[in-house]
Amino acid sequence: MSSDINKSVTMEPPLIEGNPTFESVTQDVSKIVERKPPKAWYPAFAVSATAALTGFILVGYLIWEGTGIWGLNNPVGWGWAIVNFVFWVGIGHAGTLISAILFLLRQRWRTSINRFAEAMTIFAVICALMFPSIHVGRIWVIHWTLPIPNQMAVWPNFRSPLLWDTFAVGTYFLCSFLFWYVGLIPDLATLRERATSKIKKLFYGIFSLGWRGGNRQWRHYEVAYLVLAGISTPLVLSVHSIVSTDFATSVLPGWHTTIFPPYFVAGAIFSGFAMVMTLSVIARKLYHLEHIITMKHLERMNIIMLLTGSMVGYAYSTEFFIAWYSGNEYETFAFINRAFGPYAWAYWIMISCNVITPQLFWFRKLRTNIPVMFVASILINIGMWFERFVIVMTLHRDFLPSSWDYYSPTIFDIGIFVGSFGLFFTLFLLFLRYLPMVAMSEVKGVLPQAAVHHDSSHAPSPGGSQ
Amino acid sequence: MSDEAKLKQQEYWRSLEARAADGKVIDPVPDSAGFGHDGDNSWSRRNFLTLMGASLAMAGLASCRRPKERIVPYVQAPEEIVPGNPRQYATAMPLGNHSYGVLVTSHEGRPTKIEGNPLHPTSLGAANVYMQASILDLYDPDRSDSVMQGSNKKSWADFVTFWKTLEADYVANKGEGLAILAEPFAAPTLYWLKQDFLKRFPNATWVTWEPAGDENAVAGMKIAYGKPLRPVYHFDNAGVVLSLDSDFLMSEPDNITSAQGFAKWRRLATESDEMNRLYAVESAHTVTGSMADHRLRIKPSEVGPLAMALAVELKKQGLELKGIDAAPGDQKYAKWIGAVARDLMANRGRCIIVAGQHQAPEVHALVASLNHALGAYLKTFSLRTLENTTLSDSGSLAKLTEKMKAGDVDTLVMLGGNPVFTSPDDLGFAAALKKVNNRIHLSLHRDETSRQCDWHVPMAHFLEAWSDAQAGESQYSVIQPLIEPLHGGKSAVELLNLLASGEEKSGYELVRETWRKLIPNGFDKRWRKTLHDGIYNLNKGFSGTAAVRRDVWDNIKKQELFRRSSDDLELVFTPSHSVYDGRYANNGWLQELPDPVTKLTWDNAALISPATAKEYSLTNGDIVELKLNGRGLEIPVWIVPGQADRTVVLPFGYGRTHAGRVGDEVGINTYVLRTTDAMWFATGLQMARTGRRRDDMANTQDHSSMEGRPIVREATLEEYRKHPEFAKEMVEHPPLVALWDDHDYSKGYQWGMAIDLNACTGCNACVVACQSENNIPVVGREQVHKGREMHWLRIDRYFNGKPEEAGMVYQPVACQHCENAPCEQVCPVAATVHDKEGLNTMVYNRCIGTRYCANNCPYKVRRFNFFNFTRDLPETVRMAQNPDVTVRSRGVMEKCTFCLQRINRTRRDAKLAGREIRDGEVITACQQTCPTRAIVFGNVNDPNSEVSKIKKRNRNYDLLAELNVKPRTSFMAKIRNPNPELEES
Repeated sequence: MSSDINKSVTMEPPLIEGNPTFESVTQDVSKIVERKPPKAWYPAFAVSATAALTGFILVGYLIWEGTGIWGLNNPVGWGWAIVNFVFWVGIGHAGTLISAILFLLRQRWRTSINRFAEAMTIFAVICALMFPSIHVGRIWVIHWTLPIPNQMAVWPNFRSPLLWDTFAVGTYFLCSFLFWYVGLIPDLATLRERATSKIKKLFYGIFSLGWRGGNRQWRHYEVAYLVLAGISTPLVLSVHSIVSTDFATSVLPGWHTTIFPPYFVAGAIFSGFAMVMTLSVIARKLYHLEHIITMKHLERMNIIMLLTGSMVGYAYSTEFFIAWYSGNEYETFAFINRAFGPYAWAYWIMISCNVITPQLFWFRKLRTNIPVMFVASILINIGMWFERFVIVMTLHRDFLPSSWDYYSPTIFDIGIFVGSFGLFFTLFLLFLRYLPMVAMSEVKGVLPQAAVHHDSSHAPSPGGSQ
Repeated sequence: MSDEAKLKQQEYWRSLEARAADGKVIDPVPDSAGFGHDGDNSWSRRNFLTLMGASLAMAGLASCRRPKERIVPYVQAPEEIVPGNPRQYATAMPLGNHSYGVLVTSHEGRPTKIEGNPLHPTSLGAANVYMQASILDLYDPDRSDSVMQGSNKKSWADFVTFWKTLEADYVANKGEGLAILAEPFAAPTLYWLKQDFLKRFPNATWVTWEPAGDENAVAGMKIAYGKPLRPVYHFDNAGVVLSLDSDFLMSEPDNITSAQGFAKWRRLATESDEMNRLYAVESAHTVTGSMADHRLRIKPSEVGPLAMALAVELKKQGLELKGIDAAPGDQKYAKWIGAVARDLMANRGRCIIVAGQHQAPEVHALVASLNHALGAYLKTFSLRTLENTTLSDSGSLAKLTEKMKAGDVDTLVMLGGNPVFTSPDDLGFAAALKKVNNRIHLSLHRDETSRQCDWHVPMAHFLEAWSDAQAGESQYSVIQPLIEPLHGGKSAVELLNLLASGEEKSGYELVRETWRKLIPNGFDKRWRKTLHDGIYNLNKGFSGTAAVRRDVWDNIKKQELFRRSSDDLELVFTPSHSVYDGRYANNGWLQELPDPVTKLTWDNAALISPATAKEYSLTNGDIVELKLNGRGLEIPVWIVPGQADRTVVLPFGYGRTHAGRVGDEVGINTYVLRTTDAMWFATGLQMARTGRRRDDMANTQDHSSMEGRPIVREATLEEYRKHPEFAKEMVEHPPLVALWDDHDYSKGYQWGMAIDLNACTGCNACVVACQSENNIPVVGREQVHKGREMHWLRIDRYFNGKPEEAGMVYQPVACQHCENAPCEQVCPVAATVHDKEGLNTMVYNRCIGTRYCANNCPYKVRRFNFFNFTRDLPETVRMAQNPDVTVRSRGVMEKCTFCLQRINRTRRDAKLAGREIRDGEVITACQQTCPTRAIVFGNVNDPNSEVSKIKKRNRNYDLLAELNVKPRTSFMAKIRNPNPELEES
């Protein structure tokens, strides 16, 4: 009965299916952490950890031997490292978008996936931060990019977008991490209460910061969460805008364009949602969370992907139009070269994956079909990686044809990229194993039971109630 | 300061000699110093290559190796040796029977750089790639360091003892069975020692041979004049030049002076200046062809007929040519020949025809007689005698080999050279050598020949030993050593003296003995002046008018080579632009120097035209099998637009097996196709695809089209006269506004550079100068293939026109020192910043290696140290480094500094003297060595400086000016001067 009332109040179908109770939500989420993981977890972890470890060894060799082990050359000073950096930062966008912007917009359906997405964000940003650090020639003096007072009295160059990057990505990581952690506190307390071993109790006890679920604590919590959401929201837009200035402030044809900031942000959200989709489709299946992460969630994410994917496609065409309309022969060439030059294959992979694939989601049947969306999300991730590849490879042909060259990755480029996936999934699997992957407290908040309406006077206008 | 006054200052050298007498300072470097012993293979080639660039560590050790004889420093000598103050000494580099006057910079007794000697007529201050790179040969860690008998180390004394055992017999039989195989030379001391030797052993055989000599030119003069002479061309007087397969701007012996003379006509100050016109007929595409106003690409067999057709045409047009039939020649190029002939006729007395040194003697004779008829003689063309000169002679080498095969040679002494590797394949020299009992080889390396000899004597490098050189009858140079022999080598002079006299004498004594005869009066003073100046000029130029023999036409006409051959595939041999005849194979700078036409490094290839490639369905890197008269080889092809069709050009000198860690197994040995009857050209070549290919060919420029961009701006003289501002007008852009206030560049020195593309021939001299001056590492084929060459200065080569008839243009590009530098803005740690004199400086210590600056450089001139290219440099190679330039380590960016170290040295000197830096006082390394003076550097803030004046010329333009980067280097547009008659409608 109450659920019917709730249904009528919100004028939308329930966000969580199967009519769970508070208790069953706690049970469903906590048991994942408390019991042994599903069998598939172990091989997945072994593979991921091996890849991560291999990646670390390769990074060690890179630092020992020099960036020459990569495929970089004279015109192409940035290769996969920067492609991967932008790729991972982009992936890292969905989390904050879901947690902060959707939170502020009162998009309550976010609650089932936000924890998940935020964790993904943090791990993606960790992977992202690795790349600009290891891609420099002399990593042992990389702290010179930070404005640390020093005996040389030399400051970093504040005109350089790379410096802005340092700040932007650093800030983003910090805020996302805090946001995620603050959101975790009530759930960690739940796990602490349910802990069966001393170690678990100690671990969850320390990290739940003495949460007891009191009214005042909830009030502080809600405000803190709101403030962090407010801080994070501009970051969602700023991080990738600033990452895009790495390219946009240069003088190079194909890089020097004002469209980059919005286009990068759209692309980042696009890729971020694709990655959330990939992961949530697997996780909800493996952990039997179909009733919490429902088809509605998935469908909405698909709609966002359709939107951002179309924005990205629009940006691609605008770039071309402006390149032609500018009358600048270098700019025009850069784009013709993208589509028909030596890297045309990459360009067309990008177009097919990023522009054509999301158009499937115009059809309800397709956007509610799990295999379709799973494959599409992977294609989109591939496409978005290639987008960054296409952008970075613009370097290979700039003003003077004499310096044109072709870049091919080496085994080390590939190995470290695979290693970053290893690191990402290792962290993610550890997260699944030891932390609640769904924000229990928030999901409870959107359960019908949470909207306590004892009095039918709150009922909407006649006709809507029954 | 007069020369005498300079000399007076230099008495201090005596005290140095006295210092040497205490015995301590001249000890040879002990073995433990690791000077690349034969058995010491601890440096892998990759280590060496990746690290061949720089270091200071050996400075101290090197300083104890001053030669003990008295040598006289060149100009601006400090009172005593001041550490850190380099000095320059004049000497000369012999190459075949030519020599080039050089100045060698020496840091505390350690020679580090070779430049041209401004007082020496062969270089006039400029230097070509071989001259400059030979400094690295001196420090080659693979040089032989010991006398060897078979594979046993012996001493020089052992060798002397051995010779003594032979000597008595030979003295008795007057040298029967004794033979000497020497490289050609033009050197009084060697020549007189040769005479002594032949006097002592009259029955001995003396053979002179080198693989890439100019014996054809001399033989041609012999046909024309009845005596061996050398043609000398004076391009500075020639308004019209016709080159018949002559690469006089790069490959011919007088390339430096030719380029200097030629460029005088090309550095146009205004549109009303007169410009010369060059017609080039050639098979290969050469830098000379790139400078041509009209280029005709024909097969090598067509050059002779074309020359004859030209003679006929000239006669038809009224030139007095006795003995020639006025029958019409071949009509294939009639229009071209007619126009050229008319141009030559209109410019009688101020035109020349130049024949390439590889053309047959008869072509040279024909050309000489045409030059005479055209009134060129003593105006644009003269002759030089061959005093004290030995000439390469393939015929006598063949005879010697026959004798060796017959067992008639008991002892063969080879003074330098590498005949086992370089001799014509049909002679079977290596097999013949086995029949000689005593095989003695004097050589820098234990090379292919040394390994087949029972005695190997390490040779002293020309910077280590006394010798002399001569050009014609008037120009003498003393070759003075800069350093004690690093490996105890002996010079050809010293070895020959031992053979000729049975006594040991130092090279110093021998050369002085010769020169006492050359300078009968006032020897001491003149000797010292010669050492100081690097040249002893008697000013007795060839004055007697040489007359062409009457029967020259009869001799020429009979020759078969003036008849057109079939449509066979033809072959052209050419010495490599990098390793020459193979002698520089172990020189990393030269191996990595891009070929001026193909831009290939670390390899040779069979060069073919696009049409030939199409005919055989070949692309770059496809391996073909070439067959010629039963000999064959497999080699990858490389397509050269503008080359003659159905012609294969094969550079030789590659594919060495015992060159050293750098040069072994690099490229393909093409000598295996070379035979005595086809030394330069051959017909009847067969080419077949093998289906295999090489994908690791390392070229430094992948893309050869300018894509219609205004990069090298070019116009014909006519267009230039109509639109003098065409270069600037080629790019239209909106007003350039900076986002922030520009720096104030109106005060003090503001350095800038201007490069005249109309004078630049693309000869690469500046690239090597920069490499030597700035300790630029050699990175090896693999790294070049990846696009990581480190040259701060590159020469861009673009083809223009249709692929078949393509022309070539060159553009040297180094850091443009933009006032509004895009690289500076993006560096997160401010490692690249502007100084107040407008230099874009690179602070290596601050660089963290993000490579963002390189990405954002529109000219792509920044170079990144992807690996530590200098860490494991052999110690000897470290000695070649310039101590004034920082050695860069791994992970930092580097680029052209406008030779900041030279600016600062000059600034310091000017400050000490209490004056401003004068115009022309700071000379960058590239500018210094440029034979055509295409590069000018100076203070652009001084309106009277040369660079300011040049930048005001209407041909001046800034590359990519529309980006508002405000480059400090500007270019002068290229102008061509085509014959209106030949211009396509």
